[in-house]
Order: sequence, then structure tokens, then C-alpha cells
Amino acid sequence: MTLLWLRFAVLLYGIAALAVLPAALYDRPRWRHFAVPAAIAAALFHFVSLAETLNAAHHRLPVETHEVQSLLALILALTFLAVYAWYRSVSIGIFVLPIVFMLATLAAFRPGQETFSAPVHTGWIFLHIVLLLAAYAALVVSLLASLLYLIQERRLKSKGGNHRWLPPLDTPLETIDQIALKTLLFGLPCMTAGLLIGSVIAQADYGAKYFSDPKILLTFGLWMAYVAMIFIRRASGLRGRRAVYLSSFVFLVVLFVWAANQFSAVHKFPTP
Amino acid sequence: MSQTQRLTIVKPASEAATECTREGSLVLVGVNHTTAPIEVRERLSIPAARLADAIRTLAHQPGVREALILSTCNRVEFVTYQDPGAGPANPNLLRFLHEYFAIPSDTVEPHLYEFREREAVRHLFRVASSLDSMVVGEPQILGQVKESYTVAREVGAVSGTLEPLFQRAFSVAKRVRTETQIGSSSVSIASVAVDLARKIFGSLQGKTVLLVGAGKMSELAARHLIQQGATSILVTNRTQEKASLIAGQIADQISVQIAHDPAAISCTTEVIPFEQLHAQAGRADIVITSTGAEGQIFTKAHGQQFLERRRNRPMFFIDIAVPRDVDPRMNQVEGCFVYDIDDLQQVAAAHLADRSRESAAAEKIVSNEVEKYHQRLQSLDAVPAIVALQQNAEALRQAELARAAKRLADLTPEQQAAVDAMTRSLTAKLLHPQIVDLRKKSE
Repeated sequence: MTLLWLRFAVLLYGIAALAVLPAALYDRPRWRHFAVPAAIAAALFHFVSLAETLNAAHHRLPVETHEVQSLLALILALTFLAVYAWYRSVSIGIFVLPIVFMLATLAAFRPGQETFSAPVHTGWIFLHIVLLLAAYAALVVSLLASLLYLIQERRLKSKGGNHRWLPPLDTPLETIDQIALKTLLFGLPCMTAGLLIGSVIAQADYGAKYFSDPKILLTFGLWMAYVAMIFIRRASGLRGRRAVYLSSFVFLVVLFVWAANQFSAVHKFPTP
Repeated sequence: MSQTQRLTIVKPASEAATECTREGSLVLVGVNHTTAPIEVRERLSIPAARLADAIRTLAHQPGVREALILSTCNRVEFVTYQDPGAGPANPNLLRFLHEYFAIPSDTVEPHLYEFREREAVRHLFRVASSLDSMVVGEPQILGQVKESYTVAREVGAVSGTLEPLFQRAFSVAKRVRTETQIGSSSVSIASVAVDLARKIFGSLQGKTVLLVGAGKMSELAARHLIQQGATSILVTNRTQEKASLIAGQIADQISVQIAHDPAAISCTTEVIPFEQLHAQAGRADIVITSTGAEGQIFTKAHGQQFLERRRNRPMFFIDIAVPRDVDPRMNQVEGCFVYDIDDLQQVAAAHLADRSRESAAAEKIVSNEVEKYHQRLQSLDAVPAIVALQQNAEALRQAELARAAKRLADLTPEQQAAVDAMTRSLTAKLLHPQIVDLRKKSE
């Protein structure tokens, strides 16, 4: 039954991902009336499915691969809806919704196989996972918004010339920039709190050796890169091409952190 | 005949009579920008203050039951609901034009067009939907039609026919606006500039505009930007007096607008000495330049400096000058957007082409609505016949019941009620095929 809900959510995410294209790219604002309600309904079904899955597994923690994928997809979908609620822009959905669709599809059709022994501090670990996934989602959305900024900037500069093939977006340049910056600003406290919670639990359960693990070290490196990125963006008003480079670099660090999971001795929980 | 490219479309009286299925005849006579030169239109033009009087006078012409006049800078149209068979051939209407406007008939008549019944409805729907406008899709015409309608209502010149017709025209115009993109893109240079500014900055609230040099078009663009929320206007010119004059004119316009709607605008003006142009230009989000300088005032290096000072916040240069004031290479600077007059015209032309494409979809909506309106009118035509039929049948039923009253006197009240119900049902069933037939014929 839980998979059925998730598969239904996947279908709705697919509809939303398609409907957002004419709304954002072809100046057909009425398609928003399909895209946004479909995304809201999908997120609701998705939430129900995830809650039921976690409950049924008796551990209430998203620890299996498909659960983490599913949770990340849900957080990304909620970020898209939050951006829409705040800025009335669906442009970011051009990229975010297909990613959500893909992650949710993986979770719905290829359930994970990992076994899991329930840890202590379940509530705190749940918060740790959710906060870090929210920070990753914010980073992804910010990177995508920076890419959208680049597209819109090229389009406006081309005046219908060399870059005519670029799609005209319905969102103004400054709004896209705000989305990129605000999501980063939202992600930093999430990442900080997530890391702090994780550190306190690790200190209590494993002691100091936990902090010499390559994955943990890389994660703290990621946090510093995140802080540096926000500082540079705010101090120099970085936009466009250079903002994309910077966000891409930090995203690369995220990928390294995920890859380091395979080599970690103390933090080897499944990740998407 | 849906386009008013040709004029003087007078239908033979017999044809008009066959179309006229109701008691009166809908006739629309007028001139517009395609049929009459400005010299004729301005003579027929009616100022807002005199519109009520003109409508009242027209409505009191013999043979005219209802009347409305639409007078804009591009058209003057007289919509009348007249006695059947009347038209421009009706000497009263022509005399009205001749007398009210004091114009010889032969000056106006060659430029007049006339639409009747269904074509009048179509024309009205097209006008309200801005399909007959000089700039297709412009939004002002609907407001002007609504104003004329309000005046006509106030003087009691519209009622049973023109009132629902105009209400329908407003609905059609709304449908065209919502279901097509006909009015979504701007087609004038000034509004294109504002649109582009909105694509860069989103809301223009709190934005600063710098006007470099004087020019009607740049002032117009500045006025548009103020209306959209720009809150600070900087003005500079080689001659300080000229700059002060322009700043004063803009300030006056702002005062007038504030007097009109105090909440709408809050904007300040400031004159900048021309020598300080490069030092101060970085303050502006939008620079509109239209000087007569032979060389370029803003170079690529200037753009880089401005962006550095602004911490990369975007800047939009609208260069209306010929020769150009802004080095086109400045557009290569990340964050600088430079549009010259050709670029703006190109965007406007592209938007105009988009509107033409959308107008085909809008025409379909109008045709569909004309058809629906016509069907509704025809079904209304059938109503009196159906009512008469029903009344006649009811009278017959009552007469038969009265004739049989003595023989039915012994029946109990329940039995009498049953007889009454039975005869009523029988009459209804006998009439049903005839009523259906009447309705079908009317459709």
C-alpha cells in the first residue's frame, strides 16, 4: 500500500514536471494551475507513503537507500512549493521537479535492501538526517536557480539574436537571484544544526575517533565551503556565471561527501 | 465581413429585413482609423463632457429606440436599436450626423461604414476585444467602451437590447484576454523598455532611473517607469537649465498623479551636473540616454566600474540616441544590459507579430460568441409564440371544463382535482411536440 501511494505520487510529480514547462517556458501561465496542484497532491501522497513506510519498518528513521531517496525527493518538492508560495515563480520547477520525479521513481520501483539495527537517540538522528537533507536540497535548488539566472541573463543579452534558442523564463532576473541566495541562507542553519546534532550524538556514542573519519572530515569541509560560498556571494554580490561556478564547486564537495560514505568506518549509512 | 477595411457596407433593405427577426433592428454606423482620415475623425469626435448630450440627442431621433456613441481618438461609432427597416438611409440618422456635428453629408458619408444585426454584433465584440484597434490587443479600448456604456445608461439611452448586448461584449472581451495572449506583450517602445526592466528587476519599486539628455521618448519611458513604481529620478543634461526644466516637468507630472491617487506614486527627482555623470551613474538601476552627442558617453570600461561600485547589481541601459550614447560592447559586461533603439523596435515588432498570431484565436472566440448570441436572440424570439400557444390551450381547457361543469358536479373534490390534473397533463402532452418544434425552428 505504501508503494502504491508513492507510485501515485510519482505519477503526479510527472504531471507537475511536464505542466511546469509551458508555464515557465512558453508564457502559458494557466499551466501553473496543473503544475502546482499536482505537485501539492504528489507531496501529500509522498508524505503519507514515507510516514507509513517508516512506521511499518518500526524504526521511524529514513535509513534505507530508497527511504533516503524518498525523503530527499519530498524535501526538494517542498522547497519548490515554498519557492512558489514566496515568489510566485515556477521556473525552478523546470529542473527540480524532474529530479524529484527521478528520485521518487527510484524509491518507488527499486526499494533498498539494506538491513538496519535501530540506534539509540532515534529522534535526534531523524532530525540530523532531515536537516542535512534539507541543506542538500537547498544547495541543489540554489545551484539550479543560478543556472536559471545564467539562462535568463543570456536570453536578455542576446535580444533575440545568438541565444534565441534559450527559453524565455517567466521569472525576473532579480527574483531568480533572490531564490538562489535565500535558499542558501536557509540551507546553512539546517546544515549547521544537522552537523551539531550528529556531532553531539557521535561524541556520546563513539568518542573522538569519530571525528578523524574521512567522511566526517569532508562533511565539515563541506560546511566551511558552504559558509565561504555565502560569504563570497554576499560580499561581492556574485551573480551569473561565477555564481554557477561557485555553487557547482560546493555541489562537487557534496558528491565527494556522498562518495566518502563508501570509505567511512563509522558513518556508513545508506545515502541516495 | 468582419474587417472594417472597406467602408460603406449598406445592405439592401430586404436582406436586412429577413435577418431582423425581432421587433427592431440593430444598426452600427461609424468611422475609424482605417476608413477615415484624422481630419474627418476629429470633426466627429465627441469630448467626454459632451458625450451624454450627444447620446441623448441621438436616442431622441425619430425611429431610434436605444442608442450609444463610442468616441475615441481612432473611432466614432453610433450604435442604435431602431425601428425595423431603418438604417443610414434613414434620413433622421444622417440628419443627426449632419446637424449635430455641423458637417456636410458628403464629407462624412464616403467614410462611413455600417453593420447590421449579426455583423453589428460581431463588430462590437471585435471592437471591445481590441481586434479592430490600430494596435491590436491594446487594453484601453475596453475601458472606453465601458465608459460610453455607463454614460448611455445614465441618460437612459440603453435598455432591453443594447444593455445585454454590451454586457455580452464585455464578457467576450474578457474571454479573449484570458484565453489568448493577445494583450500580453507590449508593442510601444516605451512599454517594451518597461517590460524589459521588469524582466531584469521584477518589481520596479524603489528603483532609480537616470535620464541623460532630453527627448520625448525618454521622458515617456521615464513616466512609464514611475508608474510602475520607480521611486527616484535623476536627470542630467549638458545644459544645467535644461536638466532642471526636465526634472521640473517630471515633478509636475508626479504631482498631478499624486493628486489623482496619493497612494499610487512616491517619487523624487534630482538634477545631477553633467560633469558628475560618470561618478553618479552607478546609483541608477536604469539609465535612459538620448543626447545629441557625437561620441559615446558610456564605454565598456564605465560599465565595469559601475558594476563594481554596485557590487554586481544589474544595470539596464536604454539607449534611444542616434548616434548611440552607449558602447554596444558594454552589453558584454556581466550584469549590464544595453538596448538601443533598434533592439527595442525589434522586440516591439516581434511582439506585434505574436499578437497577430494570437488574433486568429481571438477571432474564433468572437465568431463563436456571435453565434451563441444570435442563437440566444432567436430562442428569445420563439418565447412569445410559445407563451401564446400555451395561453390559448389553457383557455380552451378552461372553457371545456366550464362546459362540463354541470356533469362533473356530482364528483367529489378529489375526483374533480383528478380531472383537472388529467386535462392539464393532456394539454401539456399535446403541446409538447409543437413547442419543441418551435424552439428547433428558432435555433
